[in-house]
Amino acid sequence: MTPPQAPFEIPPIITYAVPAFVLLIIIEMIVVKLSKKGRYEYRDSATSLTMGLGNRVFGIMFGGFALLAYFAVYEFRLFNLGWTWPVMVACFFAEDLAYYWFHRIAHERRFFWASHIVHHSSQHYNLTTALRQTWTGTLGLTFIFWLPLVYIGFPPLMVVLFSGISLVYQFWIHTELINRMGPLEWVLNTPSHHRVHHATNARYLDANYAGVLIIWDRLFGTFVAENDEEKPHYGIVSQLGTFNPFRVAFHEWLGIWRDVTSAKKFGHVFGYAFGSPGWSPDGSRKTSASIKAEWAARHGAPAPSPAYALATNTDDGGKTAAGVGAGAP
Amino acid sequence: MQFENPFGVAEIIELGGSAAVVLLMVGVAAVLGFRMSARIDDSELARLAEADGARVDCAVISQNGRAAFARLSDGRVMVARVMGADVSARFAAAKAVSLNVKAQRLNATFADVGFPPLKMRIDDSPAWLNDFSGGGGST
Repeated sequence: MTPPQAPFEIPPIITYAVPAFVLLIIIEMIVVKLSKKGRYEYRDSATSLTMGLGNRVFGIMFGGFALLAYFAVYEFRLFNLGWTWPVMVACFFAEDLAYYWFHRIAHERRFFWASHIVHHSSQHYNLTTALRQTWTGTLGLTFIFWLPLVYIGFPPLMVVLFSGISLVYQFWIHTELINRMGPLEWVLNTPSHHRVHHATNARYLDANYAGVLIIWDRLFGTFVAENDEEKPHYGIVSQLGTFNPFRVAFHEWLGIWRDVTSAKKFGHVFGYAFGSPGWSPDGSRKTSASIKAEWAARHGAPAPSPAYALATNTDDGGKTAAGVGAGAP
Repeated sequence: MQFENPFGVAEIIELGGSAAVVLLMVGVAAVLGFRMSARIDDSELARLAEADGARVDCAVISQNGRAAFARLSDGRVMVARVMGADVSARFAAAKAVSLNVKAQRLNATFADVGFPPLKMRIDDSPAWLNDFSGGGGST
């Protein structure tokens, strides 16, 4: 079965966006310098940008495998949806939903976290952080989260197109220069929502997984609003403490390898590889659930659950004390 | 099945151009003076420990104020490093740390392979550091 052809040439969206990325980064640097709002550090930026460059190198080397998988699964598609405007609108929403679940599971399961942790490893939050991307995305099988879309019948290149648009959209929200955006905060993923996502504060852990639309977090109970009284601290729960790109890229994979090879039981192997980040057989390490429970105990708040987060978080500054979903950092 | 070299001329040009742009942006950041370095002192260590539900029992801070090694009230150790404008704190079980102090140089390695070794110059070597020499604290 021949896949339907796209009615137009699929533009390399990310490549086209690179000049804008560069310009916006330089503008942000100058504004940060003049306004003293936000933070930059040249070694941190060097690491982030090097990770972005490495991501492209690995993309050239292995990205074809993901595309191959898309087309292979597409052969067994349920429907022939083709390239029409209604299908493209549906694909935008479906891709964003797939991104939400990819992103959430990338935080909740260590195997996928090992790739995604790279993006969270900076303790700074600026536009260069957006480009701090994994080198092991394809090898770490992250593309499988989009396979259901092509199985349903969305053309693979349409899925690739909207994935690219989503990534480009997510660039500009990595900034401390933009505060709140009024009613847009209800629907869109914004700098404020994404600052929460990158924060290591206990109340902010495991929240705001959205790509473009924040509605998925509101729907699935993982939305947490930024609280003006608690400034986000960025990075990962166990800060990396290095600017070395190779350590940034592979440290969690090495950690999995060390744990798996020293495991005493098969169940432990599974737990170390696919359990929550921080899982250990004796519970001696911290997971984000245990961090939140400790934090809740210290602050006299009930241990939060996703349903609780859904019920208590608002856009008006998030005064609630415990608004985080279950899962891992 | 034959695998082709994925790096053609176009890819090499793209990557070369990207590398040049990376250098440009890092250069701009350096020229604009984004070399802020936080400094670690006792109050910063206390804040970091408190954020993890512990207190600092004793600590050594490097001569340049960019790194520190502390023993906490719950028996764990905390390693702090300046990371640009921020300070990175990492907590570990005492038994997961191996320390070596020679001629005002402290070298610490960690069982956690993801965590880089700590190397710092210190003014003096308090006796409690001996608990960690050769791997593992007294607690």
